[in-house]
Amino acid sequence: MKFSVCIKQVPDVTAPIQIKEGQLHQDADRLVLDAYSASAVEESLVLTEKHGGNVEVVSVGPEKAKETIRKALAMGAESAVHISTDDNASYDSLSYAKILAAYYKNHSFDVIAVGKQSQDTDAGLTGGMLAALLDLPFATNAVGLEADPSANKIIVKRQGDSGQEMIELPMPCIVTCSNDMNDPRIPSLKGIMASKKKPVDTKTLSDLGLDAASLQADMKTQVLGFQSLPQREPGKKFEGDATELVGTLMNALQNEAKVL
Amino acid sequence: MSKILVYLPTADGKIKRSALEVLSHARVLASKNGLTLEALVVDENPSVFVETAAKYGAATVHTVQNPLFKQHLNAPLIQALESAIKTSGAKFFATPSMEATKDILGALAAKLNAGVLPDVASFDIEGDAIVALRPVMAAKVLQKVKSTGNVVLVSVRSGSYDASEAPVSGSANTLTFEPDANSIKAFLREILKTAGTGVDLSEANVVVSGGRGVKDEDGRKMLEDLAALMNGAVGASRAVTESGLFPATAQIGQTGKVVSPDLYFAVGISGAIQHVAGMSNSKVIVAINKDPDAPIFQYATYGLVGDLYKIMPILIEEIKKIKAA
Ligand SMILES: Cc1cc2nc3c(=O)[nH]c(=O)nc-3n(C[C@H](O)[C@H](O)[C@H](O)COP(=O)(O)OP(=O)(O)OC[C@H]3O[C@@H](n4cnc5c(N)ncnc54)[C@H](O)[C@@H]3O)c2cc1C
Repeated sequence: MKFSVCIKQVPDVTAPIQIKEGQLHQDADRLVLDAYSASAVEESLVLTEKHGGNVEVVSVGPEKAKETIRKALAMGAESAVHISTDDNASYDSLSYAKILAAYYKNHSFDVIAVGKQSQDTDAGLTGGMLAALLDLPFATNAVGLEADPSANKIIVKRQGDSGQEMIELPMPCIVTCSNDMNDPRIPSLKGIMASKKKPVDTKTLSDLGLDAASLQADMKTQVLGFQSLPQREPGKKFEGDATELVGTLMNALQNEAKVL
Repeated sequence: MSKILVYLPTADGKIKRSALEVLSHARVLASKNGLTLEALVVDENPSVFVETAAKYGAATVHTVQNPLFKQHLNAPLIQALESAIKTSGAKFFATPSMEATKDILGALAAKLNAGVLPDVASFDIEGDAIVALRPVMAAKVLQKVKSTGNVVLVSVRSGSYDASEAPVSGSANTLTFEPDANSIKAFLREILKTAGTGVDLSEANVVVSGGRGVKDEDGRKMLEDLAALMNGAVGASRAVTESGLFPATAQIGQTGKVVSPDLYFAVGISGAIQHVAGMSNSKVIVAINKDPDAPIFQYATYGLVGDLYKIMPILIEEIKKIKAA
């Protein structure tokens, strides 16, 4: 089975951030492999270990995205494609989907796995957009994945609103992965060493028949700026024995917050 | 006159409350901006929902009917929505953000070559654009975004607006829908329903959530008892949905659901940003945690420092007394 996994480099959301004049500033320029992408890589590795085949990772981003690509190679992916963009270029989801679609048009695969959303923007659009552009069947929010290569299909366990749906998809297809699917492996020292020798094929937008200016011109969504969350009223913290604590809480809920 | 079309997802014979919240806000925007407001229901039996949609202000309710929609497959729904948007000539399309709509929004936008703003906390219409605030960076900050295009799609987090009635006399407009059988390649094997209190988590006024501090079934039972007494729903942190102690559908947070009840109990939950991302809009937050430095206390309206196994039984008895009175 051939898995191609779209991975994204994201800022570490746990690092301190500040907003200055409507712009986002991260104290530390910490960039990591998106957790949902990592789960997509992990699941692809597990399935190829079971059924044979290989895992390729594809990432669109500036030069520094290479660090993140190495991380996925160190986890065990065999090869990588880096579609390089300018350092300061930022696109909307549809542009990224168009870039990825331009790559996949000339490449064969059984399953494209992507994160169901990414940790920084939580938009969750790219997988579905890519499926529409490539006219492929897809399932989102996968929390489990099984393959039946002889029948040419995969079975996705998807987390729905009120239960889990077991969906069968013919290959080729696209699956968007939740981090509830697995715990991504931590690369071993051996894996890290091996990753340095694995092939990374760098492509530019023009290699894919695209150009930054027209992608930018077609963009429908713009980021206007950032702002802080509305402040919550400071709360109260109580210590004491259990009976006392409950008494205090009941009084507060009934007479102050008036929610009982 | 431009049109705003609100897609109203249904479940268990009802329009989702979050859909009525979006419809109510769209009605306000329509009257402010001189837009026509219309609603859309896609269901195996859509006509029963027309009355409710009209109660919230939609005079025209487009309906698309097909037994296929029972199956939760994305391909037929995307086709139905694409054709409804085109037929109605809507400029703006709004819907609640939930797993069922996250499943289709990206593909729908790509097919329509539309602008799209997913999972917003608020939105407004400015000329031919939608301007919205979206929580980003694990909901630590708000991003202001603007989207334009021939069509602009927006999905709205539950609890962002109040559902308010404004009755009009409604009429159904049946849209013909011929699913393209060739393009429906996926097949639903089964739906594994999770047993719960029966109260929908994203619609509950009271949510009682447990985390890793809840060690066993007895602990979970206490949370279920408290939720049942308050006609609320049970939620959970990722730590305990992962361990299997709580059902996966109960997960609240960045990966899980977003809730904003009047009263949220975080019991044995540390308050990781990814959990807080799903509950920080709750009106009153009660945290019970034995670690006085747990981050959850930064968000709690009322924080109780102590052992949940000692506090919960007493709390349940006190709530019982009130309910009996
Ligand atoms: C990409 C990503 C997405 C994520 N999405 C989500 C999500 O959607 N939802 C989510 O919840 N998490 C999510 N997480 C995980 C999150 O980071 C935390 O790991 C998780 O929320 C921790 O759960 P917890 O608070 O129950 O456990 P812990 O952090 O282990 O906290 C347990 C708490 O219980 C307290 N405690 C223990 N015993 C008792 C007792 N007897 N009485 C009282 N208090 C007690 C402890 O003091 C502690 O504070 C995500 C993580 C990532 C990376």
